[in-house]
Amino acid sequence: MRIGKFIGLLAFASSTTAFQVYATPQDDTGRFVFAGYGDVKYEKSDLQDSSAFSARFVPIFLFSLNDKMHVEAETEISLNEAGETEIELEYADIHYFLTDTTTITAGKFLLPFGQFSANWHPSWINRTPWTPGIYGSHGSSQAMTPLLPILSDVGIAVQQTFYFSSKQKIFLDLYVTNGASAEAHAEEEVVDEHDEEAEEGEDEHAAAFPEVEFEATSGDNNKNKAFGGRIAYAFLPAIEIGASYYTAKYDEDERLDITAQGFDINLIGSHYLIRGEYISTETDGLEEEDEHEAADIAVFKRNGWFLQSVFQAGQIWPQLGGTELVVEYAKTNKFAEAKRWVAGVNYWLDARSVIKFSYEDTDVKVGDDDQRLAVQYSYGF
Amino acid sequence: MKILYFLIALFLTLSGGLLPLFTQAIAAEVGSGAEIINNNCARCHNSRPIQEFSIQEWSVIMPHMREKAHLTGKETEAVMKFLKTISSGPDINTADVVEIPILDGGALMTKYGCQGCHSFNGQGGALGPALDNTVEQKGAEFVRKKLTDPQFNNPASAMPKMPLSAAQIEELVDFIEQK
Repeated sequence: MRIGKFIGLLAFASSTTAFQVYATPQDDTGRFVFAGYGDVKYEKSDLQDSSAFSARFVPIFLFSLNDKMHVEAETEISLNEAGETEIELEYADIHYFLTDTTTITAGKFLLPFGQFSANWHPSWINRTPWTPGIYGSHGSSQAMTPLLPILSDVGIAVQQTFYFSSKQKIFLDLYVTNGASAEAHAEEEVVDEHDEEAEEGEDEHAAAFPEVEFEATSGDNNKNKAFGGRIAYAFLPAIEIGASYYTAKYDEDERLDITAQGFDINLIGSHYLIRGEYISTETDGLEEEDEHEAADIAVFKRNGWFLQSVFQAGQIWPQLGGTELVVEYAKTNKFAEAKRWVAGVNYWLDARSVIKFSYEDTDVKVGDDDQRLAVQYSYGF
Repeated sequence: MKILYFLIALFLTLSGGLLPLFTQAIAAEVGSGAEIINNNCARCHNSRPIQEFSIQEWSVIMPHMREKAHLTGKETEAVMKFLKTISSGPDINTADVVEIPILDGGALMTKYGCQGCHSFNGQGGALGPALDNTVEQKGAEFVRKKLTDPQFNNPASAMPKMPLSAAQIEELVDFIEQK
């Protein structure tokens, strides 16, 4: 009899449990989302003397573990010129929402230096088919030598939002990561003293221009960690201005520093966008060794900037729909002096997919110039 | 040494006296979900159509955007509340229907956060055009079509399709026109 009651109780409990399991899908809380973006591009380059179609697919995996923890990962799957499929881990990290305004991030994350790497690089967000001239990461090949070709790195970050009102905030991001390293088997370029004198009249000695590798890895060539951050003021929804800092020792002996400072601006109007960044870098490099003395350290200073303006013509003339006009100018100074104009017309098919027609003209002081034409179909999903 | 600096900065950030101050400030004033969307999404990208994802999917996407856009937890909750309002039909959202007269243009504008993105009587957002003279300039039929199919005239429009009945659309058109 007792066994019968127990079985009956068990059956009742089982049915209740079954009901609860059935009821769970009614909850508004999800667990996993598959999102991302992709693009198809036709590009004709004078420098490469070629024209080609290319394609990328960039899935983003989002997991919500609970209210406090959130996991995100983005991979870029693309086809290279040899027909091989390349897969790159753009980021893979976990956020821990410590308080209402504080978030800790650990893993491989987009580096909060400026705005392009952290926020604007996805092709359905970027208003041109190319990275700005002062950057060079993200699989781009371009005539300009980038200042800080860094997209993401492995480490820990903390983010704090100082909330003054719904329209005014200060954003603070700090991070520690593995950092830059000396490029393996770098073909060091000896800076021509006369060329540099012609440019700036500085640098007394010929020295090897340091080749620094920014590729994120799960290892480090020294015990030093890169450190940096960004602080920004936002007067929403119209203005965001920020200042960034990055410093790391990049050689095995921890003698050579690379330090970068950046300023970024983002103006958002009802029918226009203006985005820009300025970056200056100081990179230590070894001068030629004397027979009896260790090589001295020379400091190589570079700087550059870009400014992009977008005129959303359809907001003024509704018959133009999702048409917008884009103009971008980028300039890098010293050691790899160059400037680039980009002009383009974009047409938004809907809020997440755009066709871009763009032309760029790059003028490199020492080296080959380039002109490119590109048509890119980008989509977010 | 840099890790030490980082930890010191982290400690000061988390334990400093400023944190409670800002935490209390946010308790007093959090924008509406629509206003938060208006203020933040366009900093980087077009606002995505709300109907593109289910509420379950938005609940996973919003923590991702919280970190990307430096939203606070309370702002994230406000956006989720707005998304639920838009995603639920008028018959399902019975609690709100009881509280808000179903044929009151002003109440409908408040419920669906129109002024989060549009200026009206000098107040509101700038993501969408001002509503004050819309009926006069573009006609009542344009406003009806815009409320029924927000992307009919601009495929990139960020305006969500509200779960409005035909009577409620007429009420909103009249309300905007009379102002």
